[in-house]
Amino acid sequence: MPDRTTPATDPGPPPSSSLGDSLAGGWADRGEELPPEDWGRARGRRRTGTVWLFALFITAMALGHAWISDELTSQAFLAWATIFTAISFQALPFLVFGVALSAALTAFVPPSAYQRFIPSKPSHAVPVAGASGALLPGCECASVPIAGSLIKGGVAPAAALTFLLAAPSINPVVMIATAVAFAGQPEMILARFVASLLAAVVIGWIWVRFGRADWLRLPTHNHAPGASRWQVFRESMLHDMMHAGGYLVVGGLAAATLNIMVPREWLLAVAGMPVVSVLVLALLAILLSICSEADAFVAVSLTDFSPTAKLAFMVIGPIVDLKLLAMQAGVFGWRFVARFAPLCLLVGLLSTFLIGGLIL
Amino acid sequence: MNRIAQGLTLVLLGAAALTSTIPTDLYLNWVKAGFGPFLIAAGVAMVLLGVLVIASELRGEDEAEEEHGHGADAEVVAAGNTVSAQESASAVERDYEEAYGRGRGTQGHDHSRAPGVAWLLLLPVLAVFVVAPPALGSYTVEATSGSSGPPPEDRRAGAFDDGVEEAAPGEVVSMDIRQFVMRAWIDEDRLLVGQEVELTGFAVPEKDGDGWYLARLQMACCAADAVVNKVYISNEPAPEADTWWTVRGTWVEPEGELSEVSQHELTALEVQEVTNPPDPYE
Repeated sequence: MPDRTTPATDPGPPPSSSLGDSLAGGWADRGEELPPEDWGRARGRRRTGTVWLFALFITAMALGHAWISDELTSQAFLAWATIFTAISFQALPFLVFGVALSAALTAFVPPSAYQRFIPSKPSHAVPVAGASGALLPGCECASVPIAGSLIKGGVAPAAALTFLLAAPSINPVVMIATAVAFAGQPEMILARFVASLLAAVVIGWIWVRFGRADWLRLPTHNHAPGASRWQVFRESMLHDMMHAGGYLVVGGLAAATLNIMVPREWLLAVAGMPVVSVLVLALLAILLSICSEADAFVAVSLTDFSPTAKLAFMVIGPIVDLKLLAMQAGVFGWRFVARFAPLCLLVGLLSTFLIGGLIL
Repeated sequence: MNRIAQGLTLVLLGAAALTSTIPTDLYLNWVKAGFGPFLIAAGVAMVLLGVLVIASELRGEDEAEEEHGHGADAEVVAAGNTVSAQESASAVERDYEEAYGRGRGTQGHDHSRAPGVAWLLLLPVLAVFVVAPPALGSYTVEATSGSSGPPPEDRRAGAFDDGVEEAAPGEVVSMDIRQFVMRAWIDEDRLLVGQEVELTGFAVPEKDGDGWYLARLQMACCAADAVVNKVYISNEPAPEADTWWTVRGTWVEPEGELSEVSQHELTALEVQEVTNPPDPYE
């Protein structure tokens, strides 16, 4: 068969056309949407093209490693590259963990299991979800895909969103990191826990009352009955990794740029003003996108600011930041982010002022 | 982005994570040493997932070609007896591939193709293999010159971990710059007076002046949260920026309140270049 001798370079007249037709028959019988007629034809060629593209990319990297690496001496660029790589690589293990856990939830946990643990009434489910956020060790990169799979599993969106906010804010690792950073100031640890949990639960309740389902764009995975659980796991993990991972890099780029560009002197100029300093640190938390497990160490280093301002840095950071916004957009869509992020910022700030006023 | 591209991207990203941890120590320039095992695990997981995705895609292609070989039969089966074809195991698997792997969802959202933004996952790969970013150094210290102040770990007296209290009279205490500035700023008993200490860090020459700083970055998690700790030295000529030095010396006791001090100074007794710098952060 001549057309099978060189399958990698030229599949010849599209071999899959007859297959496509036969499958199309099967699809039509089940009343499903037809795949477009031409999707399969150029696939083999396109795949070969992809492989060539990557071969070219790897060659270019090898050449770049040999020739360009020594030319890159601009200090500002290197510092930027270091911070970008640092943010990406620090988030990577958490992202992989979160994506794997979320895929496992999708593939191996039947929706009925959630209904047993989480109350069906959304307004009751929200506090339960907030409290269970204290159990998952991880940062915000892990919680976005997990919240997505919770919603797909039938959990009320408001409850899943509360979990999304609470998990990176009050989990054990974050609380321990806060305790280490603020040694000798237990009131700060308490304030962080209460303010973050309060904000997450209140946002959940507001979403129960005012949220609309069509603001959330969730891809509906229609698993074929023949798909094994491991196939569902693999596909779900790939899907989340590509969506959340791509946007994680967007967030890392933005955060690294701002980290280099915003001079710290500007901050010191406003540190003395009572309300403005709180808003400035909240803004800084959004821009810097520091992992929630590290933000306490940065907060404590901002020594010129009031305790309430430091609290704002730690409450806002895990629920609104550039990296998180980009990842949420990847999983839930920009329509959602445009409504959810301002809500989080507003409620988070109110909660900070309230708890900061009471405890600190 | 088709499935082959997604698989290859994952393999490359995993390879970048593994390259920077196992054969080299590059990752220490960016994240805490404790992240090493997690990065290795994440790298292995990504390579594995990428290989599985590519394998499933190529297997799909092989099946398609085999089907083409028996194209006539397949068509007869499909046209004549769809039900039995669907019941056969291979057809079910193929349906799955079409419905989930490469087909279209109910909203016209194609699950097999990742959004264009996923190409950006190649940027960290480029960063590792081409740029191989170094640890932060004198540039960052200069850029954050205004933020000099008491150290991040605002521990109360009695919680020092620098070994000054245990030191025998006349003994040189070797400590981190972080520990030194913390002791200098917080210890109201001023135990550092007259105490010889040994500090290791990189040199940052003063922009307009003859002095220089011995500096070290303190990292909680990754380079994005690095905090500068530095000590001013004026009685030794400034070395080249970013060279590593071990300095033995004594604290210059400031006048007035400790909390009012803007920077701490060391009288150097002996400076020695470090040829093989340790973990860049402390």
